[in-house]
Order: sequence, then C-alpha cells, then structure tokens
Amino acid sequence: MLGLLVLMGLLVAVALRVFAGHPRAGARYRHLSRHEVAFLHAAGDATFPRGGAIPASGSDADVPGYADRWLGASTPRIRVMMRLLFFLVEHATLFAPAPGWGGWRRFTSLSPEQRIAVLDGWRSSRHFPRRFVFTCLRAVLTMGYFAHPPVMRQLGLAPLAIDTPVCEADLLYPPVGRPLAAIRYTAADLTPPSDGTPVDLAGPLHPAWVERAS
Amino acid sequence: MSALPRDGEVRVFAQYDRDFHEQADAVVVGSGPAGAVAAHELTRAGLRVVVVEEGPPFTPGDFELDGALSMARTLREGGLRTTRGTVMPTMQAICLGGGSLVNSAICVRAPDFVLDRWCEQFQLRATTRADLDPHYDAVGEFLGIAPTPEAVLGRRNLLFRRGCEKLGYASEPIQRNVRGCRGSGECFTGCRSRAKQSMDISYLPAAMRGGARVLSSARVERLLGDGERATGVAGRIVAPFSGRPGPRFRVTAPRVVLAAGCMATPILLHKSGNLANRSGQVGENLQFHPGVAAMGVFEERVDPAFGATQGFQSLEFLPEGFKLETLWAPPAILSVRMPGSGAALKERLARIPNSAVWDAIASCNRSLGRVRPRRGSLDPQLVWHLHPDDVPILAQALYTLCEIFFAAGAHTVLPGVHGIADEIHRLEDAEVLRAGGLRGSHLVLGGNHAFCSTRMHGDPARGVVDELGRSHDVRGLWIVDTGIFPQCPSVNPMWTAMALAHRAAPAIAAG
Repeated sequence: MLGLLVLMGLLVAVALRVFAGHPRAGARYRHLSRHEVAFLHAAGDATFPRGGAIPASGSDADVPGYADRWLGASTPRIRVMMRLLFFLVEHATLFAPAPGWGGWRRFTSLSPEQRIAVLDGWRSSRHFPRRFVFTCLRAVLTMGYFAHPPVMRQLGLAPLAIDTPVCEADLLYPPVGRPLAAIRYTAADLTPPSDGTPVDLAGPLHPAWVERAS
Repeated sequence: MSALPRDGEVRVFAQYDRDFHEQADAVVVGSGPAGAVAAHELTRAGLRVVVVEEGPPFTPGDFELDGALSMARTLREGGLRTTRGTVMPTMQAICLGGGSLVNSAICVRAPDFVLDRWCEQFQLRATTRADLDPHYDAVGEFLGIAPTPEAVLGRRNLLFRRGCEKLGYASEPIQRNVRGCRGSGECFTGCRSRAKQSMDISYLPAAMRGGARVLSSARVERLLGDGERATGVAGRIVAPFSGRPGPRFRVTAPRVVLAAGCMATPILLHKSGNLANRSGQVGENLQFHPGVAAMGVFEERVDPAFGATQGFQSLEFLPEGFKLETLWAPPAILSVRMPGSGAALKERLARIPNSAVWDAIASCNRSLGRVRPRRGSLDPQLVWHLHPDDVPILAQALYTLCEIFFAAGAHTVLPGVHGIADEIHRLEDAEVLRAGGLRGSHLVLGGNHAFCSTRMHGDPARGVVDELGRSHDVRGLWIVDTGIFPQCPSVNPMWTAMALAHRAAPAIAAG
C-alpha cells in the first residue's frame, strides 16, 4: 500500500513537472505546445538577454515563433527529434542540476543565471553527446534570433534588394507547388543576364528586411 | 491533364493526376551535376531521355534567404542529416539541379597525384590526366568555369590572399561555374542574380531543348529488370517538402543511368533486390571530405556578407591532406558554434561584421563508412568513423588557418575546438592544436562531399562499376554520381563528377 502511494506520488510529481505551471502559449503557435513555447522563451532569453551589443532579446526576436515555423516546414521525423531535444534540456536538470538553490527544477523554472549555467554546462561538457545536444539547441535558437530583421540590420548584414534577371529557365518552371500555367514569363520578358556589377552595400535592403514604421 | 510531359518539357507536382508509364531510350535518375551532364550529352547523341528528380524546380521567388528554412526546403531530412559512429552533419539536396542549386559553385580538377593513385590502386587504365582533361574542358566551356573576378572577391577573400602571401603559401581565386557574379554571398540559399550556372538553369534547359523530358517531384523507389538487365525505374510522385505520396509511375528504358548521389544510389540498388552487388561493395567504402572551420576577427570592417561565397583557396597543402578555402554562410548558421551565452555571446555576435570565416576540407582515406537503407524509408543510414590517424590532418589544417588569420592581421581567432581556449590571440596559443592530444570528438566537423559508395574498379570483384560507370553485373545500368569515385579526390568533386559523366555518355548512348 505504501509502495503504491509512493508510486502515485511520484507520478503526480512527474505530471506536475512536465505539464503544470507553464503560461499560455497564445493561438499563433500552430505546432509548439505551451511547454515548448515556454522553454524556447527561457532558452532564447538566456542565450540572448535583452540589451548589450545587440539590443533585442530572444523573446523580442520571437525565437519560439521561428521554431514553430521551422517545425511546420520539417518532416515528421525531424519534428519528433526537435521536440525530444526541447524536452531533454527542459528536464535534464533532474539528473544534472543547475548550481544554486532548487537547481533540480525544470529549466523554465530556474533563475536566468542558473539557465545560463545550465547551457554552459551542456556546451562545455566533456561528453560529446551533451555537447552535440547543445549544438542542436543552439542551432534552433540562433536561427530564430537571426531571422529577426532588426538583428540583421543592427549587424549590417541584412540581405540587399537584388534585381533578378529573367532567364530561359524562368520560362520552364513554375513556383514550387504551382502548375505550369503559373509560369508568368514569356520569351518577351527575358532580360540580359547579370553583368557582374558588384552589389551596392549601401543599396536598398530586401523588402522583408526593411524597417517598417510602427 | 496527362502526366506525360511533351518532349523538352518539365512536369511538376501539380500536373500529376494519375498513375502513368513513360518510355524512353534512357532514364536518368537524379538531376544534379552528373545526371544533368549525362542527360544533356545523351540528348545530343539523339536519344529520347527522361530525367527523374525527386525534388521540385525552384524559381528565385522560392529561395529562402533564411538559412534554416532554406535547408528545410532544399535539403533532404531538412538539412539535419548526420552520420553515426563519428557524428557529423552532412547534406544532400532535393531539388531540380541537385546540389548545384545550393553549393558555392567551386570547380577544381582532381590533382594529378589523385588520378595517378586511382589508376594504380584501382586498376583503371583510362582515368589519367590526359584522359579526363578533354572532358573537364568541355564541361568548363559549357558552364563558363572561370576564376572568381577580383571585383567580387570582397575583404573576406582578399584577407585570405593577404595572409597566404605573407606566409609564402600558394593561393588563387577559385574557379566557379558562375557568369556575372555580383558578390551577394548567397550561393548556399540560391543565387538571386541567376549568375551561378546551377544545373537547373544550364545543363537541364539545354537537355530540354534537345528533347529531354523532366519529371520533377518523382521519387524512384526501385529499378526494374530481371537482375541481369536493367529495364527502367518505378516510383511514386511526392509532394514538395512534405513528401506526401501521389500517383505511381514507371519509366522503361534500355539504359538506366543512376545519378542520385553517393548516399541515395546504393539505397536504390539495395531496395531493388541488392542489385549490381556481386562484389559486395554497394554501400561500402563511404568517404567524406570532413571539414573544419575557424573564424578570425579583425580591427577593420570585413563586411563578410559581401563577396563570392567561396572565392579564394590554397592548394598548397594537398600533399599533406587538406585544402584551404574561404567561406561565407548565413550568420545564423555561422553563429551556431560561437562560444558563450548571454552578454558574452552577444559581444561576439556584434563582431561578425569584422570577421571572416575560412575552412579546410581534408582527405581522409582511412576514415571509412557505409550506406544502408533505413527501415521503412528511402533515407540512408550513414555510419562513418573518423580514423584516429586522420585527426592530426584536421588539427594541422586548423593550425594553418590560424596561422593565415594572424598573418592577415586578425587579432583574435575562434578555432571552435573543444578543450582549448574559445579565443586565441597569438599563434603560439594555437600550438596546442599540433600537440597531439586532440580526439575527433573535440572537433566540430562538417561532412562535405561524399564518395565511393559504388566505387569504380577494374576488378569486378572489388568494385561496382567500371571506369565508364558501367555496372559490372547488370547490363543496361550505369552509375555516374560521386559514388563511383574510388577514393576521395582531395578537392571539391563537382567538376570531376561532371567530367566523368561527360566521358561516360558516349558509352551509355552506344548501349
């Protein structure tokens, strides 16, 4: 009887740890659960806190939103792997606690300093699998961070607007997923090919990276 | 609407509405560099050719400038494929034009010593410099392969040249299949300037002008035949990106040319009843050019996004086993391996505009692996092990990169090696790389280029194809992708693969 009670208590504790207490994710996330959104906010802000050399934080850059889009563009197998990755780092503090009080709590419940310490522990581990896990997580976070146009503008690395010549191939292929009838060019639209003039670094940015008036 | 394309036409996913059967004189599986060259040359020889490609064609409007989303759309397994054994990311494209759409267009002829070794060790009689040069020349002329122009090198490439010159190391602008490069540094996500002569805008349109029909979004699942003779291919139409299966198709032809890539061709043969494998070599001998990279930080602004993605190289160290080259990739990808978190990481990210990234690819002939089918999938399971004796090659390559960085004026180098300092500020601090204590797991590797999984060999008992790519076991079957290389070529393989396909075409046409 006692054993059963202990087991049930453990199950409740695990369920609370995994499922309880995360803030609502918001309706705009189509693929991520609220636990995953909370985790990505926490990991994103630990990696990219607000202020400093580049002002935007991970949350400002909407790292979870990017991960949500990435999941949507990925195959089911990759989606499972990414979800396992988030789950692993969120709960690995049970076995490799963060320094300080309550270091065994899930990642999202740790203090910002503890989160950074946990991530550094993964990064500098002497065990290759742990470092590999960190690299995978870092990939998600940095991809999301750099997808935020202000970050790229801040670094002066935002893509430039480029005039794309119309070549023979553009008369052959429609946009991905569209029928041949969607080819919008004819031979009359062909333009001279690129003449090799270097892009103008002071030229206009790609429209998706242009700063918009709020 | 019929699923059958007219001569000289491409079919796309939206066009397929029922199962169908095509007939041709030759079916080419894969539209990457080798397959596209083969298709073009076969149409020039007067054959009716069908090219089958699992990926879709991309228009400039389909290019994603974001690194991860671009990889998710243009690379198999979302660009997240890794080897087992020694864990290393590696890539294979899934798009019309294959890897040429998302590579940096580097064209290098295989060095003399490589071709000599191939001939000596693999009983090849006609794969010498003199044999292959006419084919390199023909491909080079068609694609406009030429050294990267000075005007679009950018600081990142010029600093590499400066460092090499100071040290007395030979270096040169990289030859590329590019016409009118503007230095936008976007080779990896698709060239918006339409300057890169990727196969989808060069060889494939030429093949279509010659009458070739192209089935895109068509995944070949097995070869047809009786085990002694190949008679065609069969598969399913698959939706772009999702892979959702659609109608079935068959293409029958007396000539089947596999150009699906080193990692996919062996899978097709295994899934077709272990075809063409009396030698037991199908899927064996897998080699890569494992790569390492370092970042150097300069006082001056480098504007690393500007300039040919990979515009300068040094072949000085090929005899020692590595090649050095410049590199650019979306910052999101470069930043993945930057050390630190929080404010310290942000400080480093803020230095990217003053940084350059250079890389090395290594010839690791002792590091072997294999390609096997994954259960219930056409994706490969790749097992590969970095041989301990090859680790010093990579370590020396990293040291040499550090040497060139400091000679070029960098004040800080980030070598990206576990167990040594995140940043080094003097060349003396890089000596640890040569001290001999590194293991493979300390390095951050990238699996560039893959070879040898269906290697050519003069002895049918030790290779899958002869030096013309003809199967030793199965009549009517040719392989022309990099899987037929008997060993890694020590340099970027695209031009060699195209030259070998160009050479094989007349033999294929002759049947």
